[in-house]
Amino acid sequence: MTYALPALVFVMVALATVQTLRRAAWWRLGAAAPVAWGAGLLALPKRYLVDVHHVVARDAYASRMHAVVAGGLLAATLLAALAALPPLGGSRIYWAAVALAFGVTAAGAVLVGARRYPKRPKRLSGGGFQILPVLLLAYAFGGLAAALLLAFGVASAPALVAAVALAAGGGLGLAYEVRSGPMRHAVAGALHLIAHPRPRRFDGGAPDAALVALDLDAPRLGVETPADLAWNRLLSFDACIQCGRCESACPAFAAGQPLNPKRLIQDLVAAATADERAYAGSPYPNARDVAAPTEPLFRVIGEGARIHPDTLWSCTTCRACVEECPMMIEHVDAIVSLRRHQTLELGAVPAKAAATLDNLRAAEELGGRPLAARVDFAAGAPLPVIGEREVDVLLWLGEGAYDLRYGRTLRALVKLLNMAKVDFAVLGAEERDTGDLARRLGDEATYQTLARANVATLARHRFKRIVTSDPHALHALRNEYRAFGATYEVVHHTAFLLELVEQGRLAPGALGGASVTYHDPCYLGRYNGETEAPRKLLDRLGLDRVEMARHGRRSMCCGGGGGAPVSDIPGDARIPDLRMAQAAETGAGIVAVACPTCTAMLEGVTGRTAEVKDIAELLLASVEAGR
Amino acid sequence: MTRARRDPRSERAAAARPGLTRPRFELFARESGRRPRRNPRSETLAQQVEGPSRLRLDRAQTGRAAAALAPERAEPAAAPAPTTIVVEAPAFLVAVVPDLAGGRLSLHDRQLFDAARTLAGADGGVIALVGTEGAEFGPAGADRTARVAAPEGYDPDARAAAIAAAMAALDLRHVIFPETPDGGDLARRVAVLAGEPLFADVEMVAAATLMRPARGRRVEQRAAPARLITLAADAVAPYAGAPREARDEPLDTFAAPASAILSAERIPADPARTPLGLADFVVSAGAGVTDFDAFRATAAALGGTPGASRVLCDAGLMPREAQVGASGTVLSATCYLALGIAGAPQHLQGIAGCDHVVAVNTDLHAAMVERAGLAIVQDAQAVMPALIAELAREREASA
Amino acid sequence: MKVVVLLSAGRHPVSGLGALPRLEAQAIRLGAALGPMRGLHAGPDAEAVAEALGRGLSEIDHVALGAGADPVPALAAALRAAAPDVVLAGRRGQGGDETGLVPYALARALGATLIPDVIAARPGSEPGVIEVEQALPKGAARRLVVRSPVVLTVHSAAPEPRPYAFGQVRRGRIEPLAVSAPEEPAAVAIAEKPYRARPKMMRGAPAGGSAADRLKAATGGGEAVQADVMVSPEPREAARAILAYLRQVGVLPPPARAG
Ligand SMILES: Cc1cc2nc3c(=O)[nH]c(=O)nc-3n(C[C@H](O)[C@H](O)[C@H](O)COP(=O)(O)OP(=O)(O)OC[C@H]3O[C@@H](n4cnc5c(N)ncnc54)[C@H](O)[C@@H]3O)c2cc1C
Ligand code: SF4
Ligand code: SF4
Repeated sequence: MTYALPALVFVMVALATVQTLRRAAWWRLGAAAPVAWGAGLLALPKRYLVDVHHVVARDAYASRMHAVVAGGLLAATLLAALAALPPLGGSRIYWAAVALAFGVTAAGAVLVGARRYPKRPKRLSGGGFQILPVLLLAYAFGGLAAALLLAFGVASAPALVAAVALAAGGGLGLAYEVRSGPMRHAVAGALHLIAHPRPRRFDGGAPDAALVALDLDAPRLGVETPADLAWNRLLSFDACIQCGRCESACPAFAAGQPLNPKRLIQDLVAAATADERAYAGSPYPNARDVAAPTEPLFRVIGEGARIHPDTLWSCTTCRACVEECPMMIEHVDAIVSLRRHQTLELGAVPAKAAATLDNLRAAEELGGRPLAARVDFAAGAPLPVIGEREVDVLLWLGEGAYDLRYGRTLRALVKLLNMAKVDFAVLGAEERDTGDLARRLGDEATYQTLARANVATLARHRFKRIVTSDPHALHALRNEYRAFGATYEVVHHTAFLLELVEQGRLAPGALGGASVTYHDPCYLGRYNGETEAPRKLLDRLGLDRVEMARHGRRSMCCGGGGGAPVSDIPGDARIPDLRMAQAAETGAGIVAVACPTCTAMLEGVTGRTAEVKDIAELLLASVEAGR
Repeated sequence: MTRARRDPRSERAAAARPGLTRPRFELFARESGRRPRRNPRSETLAQQVEGPSRLRLDRAQTGRAAAALAPERAEPAAAPAPTTIVVEAPAFLVAVVPDLAGGRLSLHDRQLFDAARTLAGADGGVIALVGTEGAEFGPAGADRTARVAAPEGYDPDARAAAIAAAMAALDLRHVIFPETPDGGDLARRVAVLAGEPLFADVEMVAAATLMRPARGRRVEQRAAPARLITLAADAVAPYAGAPREARDEPLDTFAAPASAILSAERIPADPARTPLGLADFVVSAGAGVTDFDAFRATAAALGGTPGASRVLCDAGLMPREAQVGASGTVLSATCYLALGIAGAPQHLQGIAGCDHVVAVNTDLHAAMVERAGLAIVQDAQAVMPALIAELAREREASA
Repeated sequence: MKVVVLLSAGRHPVSGLGALPRLEAQAIRLGAALGPMRGLHAGPDAEAVAEALGRGLSEIDHVALGAGADPVPALAAALRAAAPDVVLAGRRGQGGDETGLVPYALARALGATLIPDVIAARPGSEPGVIEVEQALPKGAARRLVVRSPVVLTVHSAAPEPRPYAFGQVRRGRIEPLAVSAPEEPAAVAIAEKPYRARPKMMRGAPAGGSAADRLKAATGGGEAVQADVMVSPEPREAARAILAYLRQVGVLPPPARAG
């Protein structure tokens, strides 16, 4: 009888392997992708134990639950398999250890069950996921009972048969679920960690958030059907455990726009699979009607397809979902590649977005305004335009320069640079849009044209580094222009101003006790990992700084990224209103911002009680107060 | 109706005390966010008309919106009745072809006469080629009028043929059309029919040279006046000299060729359904409006297309298509009536192209009040019924 | 119905970069509903109109012409050979001489009827007849039934152009077309110099001026130079002032006169 449990384990492993191979047939439908298998395999333990657990640990209950149940399950299963080795099978101490491992698993299974019963949190999926605790309990208690019987040497054949049968019911169930049930996440997740499409994100440096350049000569541009996705992207979607962390972080979901990143990933899975189980999580809010065809590998986006275009265009590309996903899934990459097909091949962009893209193409500026008018914000104040001479700082003005409100911020920044006697200049009429917006809207062709033109312009001038107040421009110049062989040292104005203050070139005075809360721009915090400089700078101003519940890399988007303001998909609420409400909860009288888009979005909130001020404006006020 | 219309603006202007030391303002110095007070001296300077050595003032050039915009007021009505100028035997004729939309001369039409006058000089005469008779043409600056037969219905080719015939019969030296949808269309038809060059969209008129923009307004082209000319709106002032006799010049009747247009039916504008971007007059509600029945009734009574600020559209109180602003519709309306709208930058972007703005707002410091040509600091809920009542009263008074 | 869309090598009004004029992009959309459609361009460089391929046109005929040559004879010859029922064009070119004469000259050369400012077109109830809708000022319209062939110029109120799709440009075809037409230089060269904005007689934002001018002009704000502000007037007084103002600016008809 001592062979019963190891036999069960071998059958389980065999079944799981068969199920995995069946599933792998689906992954292989995807396009080829280069994968560094060896390096990935070596890095797996670190990726799992450090990177994954760093995210999992944000939910203390889930973290404990997962450690206990997954650790117990692995340990118990491995240990039980060892019983096949003769000396061990007869050892009662060994069986006691096995019992202990099953006991831990059982405890974990109880935690899993307690989370889902009697009432399951909204963000978790039901359906097939609800049998997970049942299977776990059966396997754990069956295994526990069998091991205990053996440990205590109770030779009751019927009892042992019953226990092993219970364990087999649970265990085989779990193994079977590897293909399309909850246990898929374990196998696909491990493989995904090895074959991750963005291995650099585990390197511990700045986040790896730059979009991958698209080959504009490819026969088909962007993703039309799941088969256009790389195979390891399909694999990555299978890693989803439907925990709904992405959904809770998604600003579009919160605003009642028809987007739910979890559902989107599941729709992509279902679009590639003929017999995928019905989705049982939260839907797209205010879901638009679609007539989804039943055959797999059909085009994914469209009113007559699985995902409505409004879903695709609701995303602000804020990366909150990516930041929160314990399975390291890259939602934004998927969304942008789907958008690329819509924009480049079908010309199916929302009307306002189309007009903006036309402007970017024909006027190199998203409002179709003259490039020379970018410096008008200075309202007559002298603004050095770069010439032959090398300057220390090239000030990249960005789109905000055309905005009346944001002109105030730029004037403050220019004034501070002058006060600190910084040797700086602007490009003047030579500055084009960076193409960031075009890129997020999927218009890679326009983006690449603009990027090449900007790279050529920058190559003509000599400067030590680029300072910009626009995190979107910063991200493009610093990270995305690399694909064109251009590397610049790009500094955000908050970091640069902090530097000036620390060098004593600017002397802030105390602003006197007002309370301030800082809203992290997604493209600075999550995309570039810069959350400290703005806070340090604020702390120098004698302000009482309070944090919103969501801040730093886990901050919530203002709703202004990814072309969402021009796509303008209606929801129940507006994202900036939600964010300003969060700011109001802190009681702060000032919401400090560090991005032209955040400024516009948050200032546009009606009935707000707090002032919206860029850090440059606050610093200027404090420097002037300190005189 | 003889009730003297109150004009608060001119009342205030009349009450202004000139001569005090006060800052001078450049007339078109728009950078000043404040509202400059009138400076009669610089106004007079700005009214000087380029050209002849004699001092000519263009009273429309006041730089003050209200006076400049009212065509009726541009007429030298207040001056003592001047004697009619008679040109007995003009050496040549310069023709104008006004649109006469609705049977009346528009401001643009009147400007044609001034341009024609410049080209006619001292020896030539200005002749209006019109489809209808009208007493207006003399005061507007016509020495002669000729009736070109207007065919019934819509047949622009027949009109063009009639004008081409008149051009030959009267040996017209120049023919000036307004660069409007109708006038511009007619001018081009005449040009290809008569095989004459057209100098289109002229922005500057002098006796010996015309100027027009080209290549997306990046260059200007100058040439001696062509035979056919279209004149851009507001490039020159309306004719402001003494009335002329507008003597009738007989023309042979003209048989129109057969037309390929089988039927034409005019569909009048329905302000309630006009797309916002095309509407000429938009009545718009913001968060300061709570009574939507009154709002809709007001828009209907005024014949305006209803619009709204984003707040109302987001709240579902107004349809999304009604949203005015950066993320809604950018207007090209002549006039915008803003009821309870604060004037957020994103909203103002949508009305940047509107010539005139009326604001009703309880807040004197609202940005919309600053933007408006007429601002009423009052509750919109009180003003809307008053507007409806006033229109009803007018209707009764005329019944 | 056989449709030809005339395409010009337009320039963006602000940047001066090559761009398909918006009206022509709208023309493509209108034409797509009428029948099989081809583009036609006469000029030195076919690439100048390639953008049209991304707007829903799949084939363009290109008549090679020297720079500065008058396109009308070549276009007329090409159109005579193609004998379309409907020719669509923008109301004016954009970025060139911008006289707007080309469609008129072609209509004359083809013996076709020109209808300007079209916002909608559909085949008529009998063959050889087309129904078009024409935009009139201030939101009014005119519905016309016209015998083909027609030349239609498109009004900006026509349906929005189809968004540009880069991928479709790669699939579209531009075919060279040889026509026998005398190549004439465009009419007498006219003296040109850089445009200098002059103050308009009234209304309208300054196109040039200082940076501060343009800043202010960006949000309007031109008018409030001397505005009327009535603080807490009687509603009735306010209503009268508003009505008087609306009449002054001409958006409200004057009250019907007693009689
Ligand atoms: C990216 C972005 C894009 C945007 N795009 C647009 C856009 O396209 N269009 C748009 O409109 N907004 C847009 N907004 C929103 C814009 O910033 C403002 O929030 C909005 O325009 C304010 O609308 P409102 O003036 O009606 O409301 P409020 O700001 O609430 O103002 C109401 C006004 O009514 C007055 N009022 C109150 N009661 C009365 C009364 N009884 N009688 C008379 N007056 C009264 C108040 O004094 C106040 O001035 C955008 C915002 C962002 C961030
Ligand atoms: S995508 Fe990631 S965060 Fe979202 S449900 Fe799946 S595993 Fe959870
Ligand atoms: S990027 Fe932001 S908006 Fe887009 S799906 Fe993820 S969380 Fe939602």
